Amino acid sequence: MEAVNIQFAPATGTEEEWNEAYARLADYFRSYQLHNRIRRTQLILETLRKAAEAHAKDPTRRPTAHAIEQARLMLREWLGAIYSDLHLNEAQLEATGRLGFHLAGGPSRWPQFFLDEENMPDDMGEAMRSAIRNSGPGMSVSKMTPRDIDLGLIPDVAEDTFGKLGRHPILRYSVLFLIVFGVLGYLYSLFG
Amino acid sequence: MSAPVGSQTANIAMTAGMPPKRVSRTRRSTFFSLVGLGTIVGTWLSFVFLSENGMRISEWALLLVFIPLYYQLNVGFWTALFGVWLMNRPKPDSLDLWRTLNADDYEQPITASTAICMPVFNEDVTRVYEGLRSIYLSLEATGQSKNFDFFILSDSDKTSQWIEEETAWLELCRQLKAFGRIFYRKRRKPINRKSGNVSDFCRRWGKRYRYMVVLDADSLMSGALLTSMVRIMEKNPGIGILQTFPKQIAADTLLGRVMQYAQALYGPPFMAGLDYWQCGEANFWGHNAILRLAPFIEHCALPPLPKNAPFGGHILSHDFVEAALMRKAGYAVRLLPTTRGSYEEGPPTLVDMLKRDRRWCQGNIQHLWLVFAKGWHPMSRVNFLHGILSYVSSLLWFFFLVLVTYLAATPTAHTAPQALLAEKILLGLTVMLIFLPKTVILLDEVITGRMFKPLRLRLLTFFSSLLDTVVFTLMAPVLMVFHARFVIYTLIGKSVSWVTQRRKIDGGTNWSEIILTFASVTVLGLLWTAIGAAIGVKLGSFAFLIWISPILFSLIVSILVAAIVSGGRSGRRLGIFLTPEEYDPPSVLKAMQQNLEEIKDRLQLSPELERHYGLMQVFLDPYVNGLHVSLLRRRRTIDVSRSYLDEIGHRLITQGPQTLNAQELKAMMHDTDTVTNLHYRLWSAADHELAPFWSTAIRQYKLAPTSPFAHTLAKQEIAG
Repeated sequence: MEAVNIQFAPATGTEEEWNEAYARLADYFRSYQLHNRIRRTQLILETLRKAAEAHAKDPTRRPTAHAIEQARLMLREWLGAIYSDLHLNEAQLEATGRLGFHLAGGPSRWPQFFLDEENMPDDMGEAMRSAIRNSGPGMSVSKMTPRDIDLGLIPDVAEDTFGKLGRHPILRYSVLFLIVFGVLGYLYSLFG
Repeated sequence: MSAPVGSQTANIAMTAGMPPKRVSRTRRSTFFSLVGLGTIVGTWLSFVFLSENGMRISEWALLLVFIPLYYQLNVGFWTALFGVWLMNRPKPDSLDLWRTLNADDYEQPITASTAICMPVFNEDVTRVYEGLRSIYLSLEATGQSKNFDFFILSDSDKTSQWIEEETAWLELCRQLKAFGRIFYRKRRKPINRKSGNVSDFCRRWGKRYRYMVVLDADSLMSGALLTSMVRIMEKNPGIGILQTFPKQIAADTLLGRVMQYAQALYGPPFMAGLDYWQCGEANFWGHNAILRLAPFIEHCALPPLPKNAPFGGHILSHDFVEAALMRKAGYAVRLLPTTRGSYEEGPPTLVDMLKRDRRWCQGNIQHLWLVFAKGWHPMSRVNFLHGILSYVSSLLWFFFLVLVTYLAATPTAHTAPQALLAEKILLGLTVMLIFLPKTVILLDEVITGRMFKPLRLRLLTFFSSLLDTVVFTLMAPVLMVFHARFVIYTLIGKSVSWVTQRRKIDGGTNWSEIILTFASVTVLGLLWTAIGAAIGVKLGSFAFLIWISPILFSLIVSILVAAIVSGGRSGRRLGIFLTPEEYDPPSVLKAMQQNLEEIKDRLQLSPELERHYGLMQVFLDPYVNGLHVSLLRRRRTIDVSRSYLDEIGHRLITQGPQTLNAQELKAMMHDTDTVTNLHYRLWSAADHELAPFWSTAIRQYKLAPTSPFAHTLAKQEIAG
């Protein structure tokens, strides 16, 4: 990574827009738990410079959008170098790579080398790679097939009865009336 | 019986652990003879009293309802008495499974692979993972944890909860250095609820393990007990399921403490009694048990029942059926009497208890299909019947009281000395059946000090028992009304939905919930009292009203009782309802409680952010986002259009997560590209494009620089 150069003079975009992009990038890199402020500032400036170039080519998008896109591209490039031997697609690379950095303790152990491919120590890359190799357990598929339970006579009778009642609404209502009037008749006989 | 798997030792009989038929038959004939005798005597006395002036139809109906109720009373009575006898007799029980282990066995390393599975469904993430941490560390402390793996099997359908579970899993693995030992699996479709969740595990990973310990989300088990259970299974290849006695813990309401106290005091003798007559045909309660996986996979998959829910369809109370299937396959299902090492939590309030009972009721009533199915062991049928009776008996008790009220309104003179004597004996017998077991168990405790050695605590136990009798007397009629209602609901086809069980009260007393739930019970009590008073006025005697008044009083004051028992004044300060786990917490419980205390002090975000915490993190935090996408990566992308996902994503950013329904959130969260891209789209959006939710959420990175991974867990990292 080149030496710190705080010079930043975008050719396009307003000061307000670039201030917004700056604030957003600051929050974004903070979300990586990079508590090393110097490194965070370096990253913000580097990203903003790239965003300014991109904005000059495509001023229809806001500087904030360009800035986050540049951060994403830098991340992809960095992770691509670290995980080159794992043959991951883009979505996997980003997801797995970020996770690998976290699991390897990157934010606390090597915050100064985040997105810094050139100066990154070997053990950092190895820690990030080995962190994501811990997965499993491998599946050992077996069959668990329900066997029918022979429920015996009762469900057959119940099924036949309900089936018949279901097919013959007049029969169904007759049974219902018989039950209701039977109960009412009995109550009447008790109290009458 | 196919060859059991799991025995490492060639000279162990493959049926070891299955009680000899001779012993089982002797025990059951003794037990059921006494139960039958008690039921017949009670029925006969009742008949003698009722038939003095000939039997009316209503009196026959009363007698008919009386028989199963009296049978149930007798089962409880004799189970408790046999239990107390077993616990006190000098000669050890010949079927005691602990005796199958000798001192050398405890020295042997455990080589059997065991999966400890915890199915979860929208549970409190912190409680689940801190419980798991305590179990893990307790197991590590035994030095025998090498062949144990842990699985969190999630069916959570709340998106935020799902993400929190993922982050907590990662953090726990990181803190414990347990990658490759603790696994997290989320099902896309929660087919067949909990039993489907466990079956899914069995299909995917079952072959890798010889045993599976099934836990509930609130279960806690000590490493010592877990290793002992595996050793017992190794020495007894004839056992298919070994069920422990999970004691209730960590209650902070009066109801919870009374329940856990009652369980601590009366539970062990009841368990011993159950073990006495159930022998190799005990029940599985769905958790805190170890299962032999090969026969479980081969024989215990559950078919759906005929017809639709609530009567048919998916089997809700799967555990009883799995136990019956395991027994049908020739393996014993055994109870392991334990006093320490196996724990669970109970519902905190009466309303929560009723919600749980509603589910259990429907599950048990479903077993009506299975009682007469072919091929069961007779004791499995008895277990099904007892399960059904445990809820139907409330309806029967209700009918009994209605019939008694009717008979009181249309009285016939009882003057014959034989009838009056029968009435008195029946009353005495019934009082004995209800109160003698409690009295004997209490005396046993006061004399032996099984729970507490200090005399002061034994005396406190005595007073606590008097008080718990009051609480249960006040609650029993209320439970009767609700259980009767649940049975009727099930019979007329009203099904229950699958909801998360609440384990802790969230704040103060929820009066509106209590009043809405219990107002009808109060009205019923008042109406019944009016009828009783009218009968008294008509007959010139209020004897019936006085007789039934304890029940009516409980119904009338149900709102007050529900509020009191669901409140935080639980008598802990006075030392009543004290349990051994409160007095001297086991290390596995102590560790969990310390961690839970630590988390209480964590930094709280605004309520809106806390409510959608998982969702906020998965889209904002690069690591949580990476984790979620990594866990999704092997899945197929779901079958929805890209434009649909874009539209939802746009709404999420511009209007906030509260504007998306569960279906939309689910669609979004299952798509790797959407989850990845939304992370960048959110961070790329201009301030004015963001919903206020996201503006606040982004600001929290400036204000509260805490790791989202540590939000739900205590910071207790393992050194080295």
